[in-house]
Amino acid sequence: MKKPKNTQKLRLLNERSITKNSSPEEKPGWYVQRQLIMKCVVCALIAGSIQVMNPVSAKAVDIQSAGKSISQQSKVVSGTIKDQKGESLIGVNIVEKGTSNGTITDLDGRFSISVSPGATLIVTYVGYVPQTIPLGEKNSLSIILKEDSKGLEEVVVVGYGTQKRVNLTGAVEQVTSEVFDNRPMANVTQGLQGAVPNLNISLADGKPTRTSGFNVRGTTSIGQGGSALVLIDGVEGDPSMLNPNDIASVSVLKDAASAAIYGARGAFGVVLITTKNPNKERTSVTYNGNFSMKSPTVVPDMVSDSYQYATMFKDAYSSFYDYAREPSTIHKAVPFTQDWYNTLASHRPGSGLPDVETDAKGNYLYYANTDWYDLLYKDQTLSTDHNVTIQGGSDKADFMISGRYYGQEGLFAYNSDDYDMYNIRAKGSAQIFPWLKAENNMEFSQMNYHNPLTVADGNVWYGLESEAQPMSPMFNPDGTLTMAAAYSVGDLWYGKNGTDTDRRVLRNTTSFTASFLDKALRIKGDLTFRNTDRSEDTRRVQVPYSSKVGVISYLGSSTNDFSVEDGTTKYLATNIYGEYEKTFMDAHYFKGMIGYNYEQSIYEYLQTRRNGLIFEDAENINMANGSGIKLASSYEKWRIAGGFFRLNYAFRDRYLLEVNGRMDGSTKFPTNEQWAFFPSVSVGWRISEEPFWHVNKNLFTDMKIRASYGSLGNGNVGSYAYRELFRISQMGRLINGTLKQKTSLPTIVPDGLTWETATTANVGLDFGSLNGRLRFSGDAYIRKTTDMFTVGKALPAVYGADVPKGNYADMTTRGWELSLSWHDNFTLANKPFNYDIRFTLADYTSKIDKYNNPEKNLGSYYEGMTVGEIWGYETEGFFTSAEDIANHASQKLYYASNSGTWLPGDIKFKDLNDDNVIDYGTNKVGDPGDRKVIGNTTPRYTYSFNVGGDWNGIFFSAFFQGVGKQDWWPGNDNALFWGQYNRPYNNIPKSMIGEIWSEENPNTYFPRYRGYVALQGTRELSVTQTKYLQNVAYLRLKNLQVGYNIPKNILAATKMQAARVYLSAENIFCWSPLHKHTKNFDVTNIYGEDAEAKDVASDGGTNSIISNGGQSYSYPLLKSISLGLSVTF
Amino acid sequence: MKKVLYGILSLAFLFACDMEELPKSQISAKPVFGTETGLEMYTNSFYEVFPATTSRYTSSYYIAVNQVVKYLTENGFSAEESSGWNWGTLRNINYFITNCTDESVPQATRNNYLGVARFFRAYFYFDMMKRFGDLPWINHPLDVNDPLLNSGRDARTLVVDSIKADLDFAIANIKTAKDPTCSTITSTVAAAMKSRVCLWEGTYRKYHTEAGLQASANQWLQEAADAAQIVMNAGYSIYTGAGVANSYRKLFISKTPISSEVLYAVTFDNTMGVVHSSNRQWTSVTFGSCPSLVRPFVNTYLMLDGTPFTNQTDYATKSFPQECVNRDNRLAQTVRTPGFTRITGGTTVKTAPNYAYAITGYQTCKFTLDDTQFDNVDICDNNVILFRYAEVLLNYAEAKAELGSLTDADWAKTVGALRARAGITGGISSKPVAVDPYLKSTFFPDVSNPEILEIRRERGIELSFEGFEWSDVCRWKLGSSLTRDWEGIYIPEFEVPYDMNGDGTLDVCFTKNLTPANKVPGVYYLYVGEKLANGAKNNSQIAADGHTLVYMKDQKRTWNDKLYFYPIPANDLVMNPNLGQNKGWD
Repeated sequence: MKKPKNTQKLRLLNERSITKNSSPEEKPGWYVQRQLIMKCVVCALIAGSIQVMNPVSAKAVDIQSAGKSISQQSKVVSGTIKDQKGESLIGVNIVEKGTSNGTITDLDGRFSISVSPGATLIVTYVGYVPQTIPLGEKNSLSIILKEDSKGLEEVVVVGYGTQKRVNLTGAVEQVTSEVFDNRPMANVTQGLQGAVPNLNISLADGKPTRTSGFNVRGTTSIGQGGSALVLIDGVEGDPSMLNPNDIASVSVLKDAASAAIYGARGAFGVVLITTKNPNKERTSVTYNGNFSMKSPTVVPDMVSDSYQYATMFKDAYSSFYDYAREPSTIHKAVPFTQDWYNTLASHRPGSGLPDVETDAKGNYLYYANTDWYDLLYKDQTLSTDHNVTIQGGSDKADFMISGRYYGQEGLFAYNSDDYDMYNIRAKGSAQIFPWLKAENNMEFSQMNYHNPLTVADGNVWYGLESEAQPMSPMFNPDGTLTMAAAYSVGDLWYGKNGTDTDRRVLRNTTSFTASFLDKALRIKGDLTFRNTDRSEDTRRVQVPYSSKVGVISYLGSSTNDFSVEDGTTKYLATNIYGEYEKTFMDAHYFKGMIGYNYEQSIYEYLQTRRNGLIFEDAENINMANGSGIKLASSYEKWRIAGGFFRLNYAFRDRYLLEVNGRMDGSTKFPTNEQWAFFPSVSVGWRISEEPFWHVNKNLFTDMKIRASYGSLGNGNVGSYAYRELFRISQMGRLINGTLKQKTSLPTIVPDGLTWETATTANVGLDFGSLNGRLRFSGDAYIRKTTDMFTVGKALPAVYGADVPKGNYADMTTRGWELSLSWHDNFTLANKPFNYDIRFTLADYTSKIDKYNNPEKNLGSYYEGMTVGEIWGYETEGFFTSAEDIANHASQKLYYASNSGTWLPGDIKFKDLNDDNVIDYGTNKVGDPGDRKVIGNTTPRYTYSFNVGGDWNGIFFSAFFQGVGKQDWWPGNDNALFWGQYNRPYNNIPKSMIGEIWSEENPNTYFPRYRGYVALQGTRELSVTQTKYLQNVAYLRLKNLQVGYNIPKNILAATKMQAARVYLSAENIFCWSPLHKHTKNFDVTNIYGEDAEAKDVASDGGTNSIISNGGQSYSYPLLKSISLGLSVTF
Repeated sequence: MKKVLYGILSLAFLFACDMEELPKSQISAKPVFGTETGLEMYTNSFYEVFPATTSRYTSSYYIAVNQVVKYLTENGFSAEESSGWNWGTLRNINYFITNCTDESVPQATRNNYLGVARFFRAYFYFDMMKRFGDLPWINHPLDVNDPLLNSGRDARTLVVDSIKADLDFAIANIKTAKDPTCSTITSTVAAAMKSRVCLWEGTYRKYHTEAGLQASANQWLQEAADAAQIVMNAGYSIYTGAGVANSYRKLFISKTPISSEVLYAVTFDNTMGVVHSSNRQWTSVTFGSCPSLVRPFVNTYLMLDGTPFTNQTDYATKSFPQECVNRDNRLAQTVRTPGFTRITGGTTVKTAPNYAYAITGYQTCKFTLDDTQFDNVDICDNNVILFRYAEVLLNYAEAKAELGSLTDADWAKTVGALRARAGITGGISSKPVAVDPYLKSTFFPDVSNPEILEIRRERGIELSFEGFEWSDVCRWKLGSSLTRDWEGIYIPEFEVPYDMNGDGTLDVCFTKNLTPANKVPGVYYLYVGEKLANGAKNNSQIAADGHTLVYMKDQKRTWNDKLYFYPIPANDLVMNPNLGQNKGWD
């Protein structure tokens, strides 16, 4: 019988199962019979999957192409193909070299083929080493294929070491560099999205600098929160500064047992990124490069016909004021008069009339039809990626140097956000003595980004939504900016406002490995330092514009200033650990590891800002001369120390046991709570290695059941959370003409502070099937996060401060993830066609078990709550008549107009509790009024689907990922969704046209046209309700690539060893139910927001929308098409 | 093996013996309370409670706004919608008062800062008391088990006594009497505050007879007068430096507080980036609620000779340009009248009221900076006055008048001085002896004392839009006056464009046609018909006399005496039922 690719060789056991040692003749009758049936089944399956149309027969199937004539001198060669154990292999490919002539073996491993004399046969089979056999004079062949041990020996990176996949007992998933291959990406985080089930990465927006915390397996803690610990080559690091080409593998430790070795910081999973090691076999130089065209996945499509816009504006405005008021301005930039409106009617697009006229007083009157988003973005922007790797070595020493430049031109048409990233890595090792090896791994990265600002509103998208209406053009006839432009794109055109960010990481790890006792005892140590510097220079100057001929005004508050921010993190880490491995009596395998880890980090930050720039192009704070000077600084230092151990025991490779423990100490806790011990245990049962396991290896090649349990503390606490500290900051008010320092009430000291604990129980099942073509790995887990550091029981307001926090809350997260892969090959046109398919699916939900909310007040967590739930009203429909309104339950708490008058076409909420009033009861779970749970924000059933293949040097792959179920409430002040229902002067999504209620067209998606009703809390569309809750499930084609490996015989003429060209497309397609109602959002980051704008707001920013999170006013995600080349010399 | 283990253990010990890290950019209690710098730094945080806007008007008998006043709509307000039961400010102050005990700072110095803290506690409690009445009196930062958290409310009288005690301490212990920058709390500011509080309490006790506290009213009025006297002895004066036409408004549009009159102002400086956005609130139709004076109140602005405007037989039918002639100069410095100018792009431009904003025809200009560049961006840096001498003088005069001890000399240095600044020539040196029947019948029918009537006239005019409106209504028990229709200017003829600011161009036309024909370019056509095209009621209509503009006539406001105090928010009552609900709200 053939062996599957991934079955582990039984290295430690001499015992063989009865089937393995028996020759077919010795097999019992029942067995032979079953074998035959199995073979038929398997062949049928294979045949089906490779679409061989010929019926399976006992004879060899000749699938040579019809167009190919066989030469008359051809001879017939036949033979058998077996594995090393003498078992016949079914379906092996045999191809005559240089032709498309080929066949496969039959059920008994036999084949027969007509070939020309002196031909060479190429024999290939999944999981086995291919063979090339010159025929010579032979007419019959007996071929033995060797298993390809690469698949069998697959090792997975785990904490402080590696583990063979078959011996894993925890929940660990690993992906290799293939995830990043041939993909143009600004940073690694963006490339990892969707690659590993239940590794959840949500990027706030599409900025090239954007990165995010890595979440493993869902909601971690509602107290301190927490992301997965990300380690690069064993030491904490920032993946966004890493060269994607340097990555060999990314391993995700999901359960407590596998993460326990990292103690407190591994409470919510660990992501281990391992960089490539030098290839010592030969010295080589590899160049990878690609050129990409990028553009936004979504550009909001807004009405640009000004007359249509103004007509709707007028309607939205006056309807909110009970049709009792006419607008006098369209917000700030453009006055509204009846005469202007009438004139606008004649300036429809295509009229040929001028965009700008002036009135008697010289004020500009605007009649343009501007598509502002078209002005904002380039149609296409370019990025280039160049990567060179030089490597080589000998038995004694090896080296690798890699360098990368990635440059992405900004997306904005003006003052664009250019991004550059440089990476250098130098890695080398030397075998100093036979027992001692030293290694050094140095890395330097630099990232530069220019983030343009708009000084009026802080965020260009918000400025555009609030001021840039279509009737305003960008420029006045004299070339000055219009006011609308100055609020939005014009500021970028002026080109003087922005932040230049410069980030540098310099990191060096020096390590040694000493081996004793015939390598049974190994001691490893390493020391890493890493300096991370971030500096930001921000310039804000006023933007000139004109609303009246010859009169220049300025926008941009008093911001005529320059600010310099510098943050430095000095980080030091060291590990020393010893490992001892031995097998006793050929049955008992032991491995023990014990180690010590110490880390410290010092962060220092200084910000200086001064106003009064002496000229507007100043590029240094020295050019500021004003009296408004701001200084702020901060400092943080933490240290952790940990001692850890791991014990592995295996009995005959059947029963696997692993015990981990770590004693952790952290400066973030009070003295009596500084140290804690976190143990974990995991077991595995390789049921397929049992003597009684008689299941046919074709059906189940191998099978393992795993279980683990462990408990980890969450050390993700603010460094000084338990101390009573007085913050000092500069006042925003003048006293005696100066901005003095102030301090106030210290932070409320928590009611005790101890570790939050995450306890995870995990069960897993792995099996291979159909000769290892199919592999399944699945895990289910329960994670209880207890003693979460949350607010105490609500206190009466006279307390006067946030209720002190304490370790009060508990939560349970339940989830599962699975991955299913299939890989195989078949022959197409006499060439092997290899393909693989991988599907992953993951899900989780979290429930609150304990929370200090005994009354179960809504708006806070409560016991029994499913995290993410959305409460809202049920939308019954629109009112149809005055009678309908009069007969309906009172909606007096809510408004559709300024006076609270309801009219037909307004929203009608369902009176769920039949009390004849629409209200929220006492706002408790038990008395929610007319509300109920209408949805949940948690992404459910996150999945990915990857299909790849190669044939004759051509390769392709497609990577889809998505979310199966998730809800989204568009929220207040979201102009891109609500258009003028939000503010009457907002732009109108084109998709809204035809979906607005009117007496003639009452069955629409949106209600009676009214402004301001989606703006604030008690307005009809601000109220969370079923009708406008969006289903944001999606399917995205994340990456599609096709390429060609240029054959060696063509390359032979050059000095090249390998060369590859490819086309790769990113984010080119997305399907979502959301698109039925709006196409203005990229559903994949629907919960995203502009983080920089949020920072501006927290720094005393200028408008409410951004301080509310700035959702929907953010940098778009990008799609791209790139052409790449990779050559190796 | 053992060696390695020992090695590891000793290394562990080496690194791990001390796991304490101290923050360097934050400090502990010792340097805060043990140094004068620390005390000053802490008290600086109290200043951030002061408002940073000139837009601080409240509901009043003389202000119309473009929104339905929900509070004054029948059953329009409930405990569920109530708010303001916020105590964070107090905790910050009490924490300071409790911990300011470090004897390494001299007692007098500590008392100075304690005086400032207690001023701010009084300021906080006064606002809370005016809003909710009875309150828990809390004088220390509560811990989570403090019984006060769940106790009931103390009587309002205990609260005001405590406020007064805090202010007395502040007056006695704050070392500085006068701050030329007008940016710190001085003992004189505390005295001004005390006169404000005591006047409120004295008049409240006098007019709210249902509270049964009339007997003690005079005691409070006397304290109000005495506290005002402290300020009057401190060397302040009414500013007249810019002449009768400009002095009054210059106070409010000036960047540097005019320190001869201003006791305390929140100050701003554009060059330092410390600014506010008030101009926008006084000019934008969509931002803010277009507060505009009602005509009956405009009628109370005296003629320059000191006689009532309403003494003229034809006063009721005067058009807007006509009625603005020869009036108290504060009218032209409070609303846009003919001759009003603004600056656009460096040029001075005569500017008419914006009739989309001026819902009664009277558009406020008291706090509006002249240059239109301030309208749309947040770059205003005119001072926001919170305590000024004029108010203290009015407090003094009112307290004395209520006590019956107002003299001609008192009158001359208080109301007389204010009227003189406004260019009024008559009646400024001796107290009034005759009742103005229009003033009495229109606003204060229950008041027969001509001194009190005139002081109220003066207070309304002098302090308009400065945030005293609601508080005055409450203490004078004038709630029902808020239900009057919001009347505006008199319109002699409809369908006729008018030049309202005398610049020779036509500004506005009041029309009863939904689609007026032959419109004159540049003229704002204000539709004043009863109904809109869709049958809805129009906001701008004409009163029964057929000529007077009236705003939101169909939106009736009602009064109920329970409204003098807000209800305790329902959620807070759920948290602590012992608070009890205010009368009429349960």
